[in-house]
Amino acid sequence: MAPEQDNIFRLPDLGEGLQEAEIVAWHVSEGEHVAADQPLVSVETDKAVVEIPAPHSGRIARLLGALHERLPIGAPLVAFATEDGTDPGSVVGELEQAPSTGSGARADKGEILPPPPPAKGGGESRSSSGTEHRVGPEPRQRAAPAVRALATELGVDLATITGTGPDGEITRDDLRRHAPATGMVPLRGIRRAMAVRMAEAHAAVVPATMTDEADVESWSPHTPITPRLIAAIAAAAKVEPVLNAAYDGIQMALRRNSEVHVGIAVDTEDGLLVPVLRDAHRLDLASIQAALDTLKEAARTRRVAPDTLRGATITLSNFGPLGGHFAALVVVPPQVAILGAGRIVPRVVPNLHGFAAHRMMPLSLTFDHRAVSGGEAARFLAVVKASLETPSLPKEPQHG
Amino acid sequence: MPDITLVEAINLGLARAMEEDPTVILLGEDIGADGGVFRATNGLLARFGPDRVLDTPLAEAAIAGVSVGLAARGFRPVAEIQFMGFAYATLDQMLNHAARLRTRTRGRLSCPMVLRMPCGGGIHAPEHHSESGEACFTNVPGLRVVIPSSPARGYALLLAAIRDPDPVIFLEPARLYRTPRETVDDNGTTLPLDRCFTLREGNDITLVGWGGVIPDLLATAQVLSDGGTEAEVIDVATLVPLDADTILSSVARTGRCVICHEAPLTGGFGAEIAARLAGPGLLSLLAPVERVTGYDTILPLPRLEDAHRPNVARILAAARRALSHG
Repeated sequence: MAPEQDNIFRLPDLGEGLQEAEIVAWHVSEGEHVAADQPLVSVETDKAVVEIPAPHSGRIARLLGALHERLPIGAPLVAFATEDGTDPGSVVGELEQAPSTGSGARADKGEILPPPPPAKGGGESRSSSGTEHRVGPEPRQRAAPAVRALATELGVDLATITGTGPDGEITRDDLRRHAPATGMVPLRGIRRAMAVRMAEAHAAVVPATMTDEADVESWSPHTPITPRLIAAIAAAAKVEPVLNAAYDGIQMALRRNSEVHVGIAVDTEDGLLVPVLRDAHRLDLASIQAALDTLKEAARTRRVAPDTLRGATITLSNFGPLGGHFAALVVVPPQVAILGAGRIVPRVVPNLHGFAAHRMMPLSLTFDHRAVSGGEAARFLAVVKASLETPSLPKEPQHG
Repeated sequence: MPDITLVEAINLGLARAMEEDPTVILLGEDIGADGGVFRATNGLLARFGPDRVLDTPLAEAAIAGVSVGLAARGFRPVAEIQFMGFAYATLDQMLNHAARLRTRTRGRLSCPMVLRMPCGGGIHAPEHHSESGEACFTNVPGLRVVIPSSPARGYALLLAAIRDPDPVIFLEPARLYRTPRETVDDNGTTLPLDRCFTLREGNDITLVGWGGVIPDLLATAQVLSDGGTEAEVIDVATLVPLDADTILSSVARTGRCVICHEAPLTGGFGAEIAARLAGPGLLSLLAPVERVTGYDTILPLPRLEDAHRPNVARILAAARRALSHG
C-alpha cells in the first residue's frame, strides 16, 4: 500500500502545537498543473490564515478537502496525478477492496462505506473529524437516541461533531462541548487560541507588575513610538537578561536568551495576535520600523506565516493608541516578561524654574515572579525608561 | 417468627388460603402423603384432609383440565406441576380453556385457578427439570404469569394469585426455594399482581430480570456500586400484565438497560421488554439495550448448567458495554 501514498499531499505540521486547520480558500483546481511552491490552499489555524504551497510540481488529481472543512494535521489535502496519469484515488479504491491489503479496520467498514479515494490505513480517516472523503451520502453519525433527542433540543447538528465514544459514537459530553447556552457562539480561530493561551498563562505564572513613567517631552512630534519601545526593550534586555528569558515551571529551569525577539501584541478584529519581530537587539530604529510595518500588514490581513508567530522571548503591548495608562498584563510562558505602554499624556512636572507640562508615557512591566526578582524587574524598567527618555536614539543602545 | 425459605413461604401461603377459603383445593402429583416433590405442600394433607389435598395420576393435562372444571364450578383449585418441563402438556387446557372461559361464556363463568410449578435451573437437575418456559404462557391472553424471587413476595403474591378471579401461572424459581431466608408475616396481606418491584435504586443503569437471576442482578449491582456506578434493579415478578411504566421510568433516568432471564434469548420475554424500550422508551436510550439470557440451545446436563445460566460476569460485562455508550 506504499507507492500510491506518495501522491497524497497531507496537511503539514503548522507548528505551535496546532492540531487542525480550516480550509478557507482553494487556489488550484483538479486537473491543474502546479509548480513547486505555488500556493495550493489557504487554511485558517487557531492563529492565522496560512498559505500552503505545493511541495513539488505536478498535476492535481483531486482536492481532498471541502471549503470550510476542518482538517487535522496530517489529513490528506491534495492528490497528485501519478506520472502515467492514473488517478491515484481510483488506485486506492481498488486496493481497498482487494482482500490482500489486510487493513482489518478498513475492511470491516468497507461494506457500509464507499471506498474513500485517499487515506490508507484503517483508523486514520476514522479518527480525523469529518475528513473522510467519499462519494455518495455520508453515513449517519453514531449516536444513541437520547443523544439525538438532546441534539435536536439544543439545535446542534450532529454532522459537525466528532464523537469520542466507542467507535466514534457521539456522547452527551460531546454535545455539551458543542452546545453552549442560548445566544453563545463557540470561540474559533485566533480568539479561541487567545482564550486557551491566556487561561494557561494565568494558571501557571505568578505575575507581579511594576509601573513607571517615561518623560518623552524631548521627542519630536512624529517620533514612531513602537520602534522606540522595541529598542528600549532590547537595551534593557542587555542589562537584565533575566527578563528576556524562558522559564520552565515544571523543570524549574531558566534559559537567558541571547537574542531579543519581541512579540508585538496586535489588536485584530478577531482577537489578539502576536507576531514576532526578530533580532531586535541587532536592528537600528529604521530597520525596526521596516520590520514592524511588514508584520502589522501581515497581521491586519491575517496572512501571518506560522514561523512569524513563534519564538518571542519577550512581549510588548503598546496599548497607548487605544487609551489607558497602566495595566497588569499577562505573561505568556515560557516568556517571563511583558512591557505595556499606555497613552502619552501631558503632566505637570516640577523643574528648576517651577513647573512645566511634559508628555509622559506610562509604562507597566509585568513579570513572572517565579523567574524574575523585583530588583531585576526594577533595573530593567529603569533602563527602558532611560532609553525612552533619550532625545534621539543612537544606532547602538546606550546602556550596557 | 423465624426466617423461612421460599418453599416454606409457599407452604404457609397455601395453608393460609385453605384456612380462609374452603373452596381452595390442592391437586397434583405426590402432593398429599409425600408433601410434594419440593415439600411445598408438606403437612397439608394431614391438616386439611384428602377432600382438599388430592394426589393425582401422572397426567398434567388432566390436572389442568380438572382444575378448569373445578374453577368453573366455584372452587379455587391450586394445582401443582412437578417441574416446568411437564407443564407443556397443560398448554391446551390453559390456553384453550382456562384463559378463555370468562370470554367464551360472556362472563357467566370465570376460572379462578392457579397452576403452580417450580421453574428454572441452578439445582443440577436433568434438563427437562430446569425449564424456563415463561414465554409459552406470557403470549397467551387471559393468563396472568407471576414469578416471585423472595419468600415474602412469594407468600404475598401466591395469596393474591389464589384470590384472583382468573387463571394464574405461578412460577417458583427452584434455585431460590431454599435460599435465601427472610421473615414472612403470615397475616394474609397480598401484593399487587401488576407491579414490578424495585429492589435497589440507582440512576446510572437499570438491571431488569425475574426469578432465579435476581440474586445475580443484585450481586452485579453491588459490584458496580463498589466501582461508583449505581444500578437500579427491577424484579419483574408479574410478567403478565407487564408493569412497563416502572421499567420505562427507570430507563428514562438511567438511559441504559440490561435485561436478564434464564430462558433462551430468541423470543424470550426479555424481547418484549426490549421492544417496549425501543418503542415508548426509545428517546431515553443512551445505549443499545443489552440482554443476558440462556443460550438458544437445549439446556445442557448439570455439569455444564452453570455455563448456560446468566451469571454475574456476563451481566457485568453487558452493563459495562451499556455504560460505555452515550
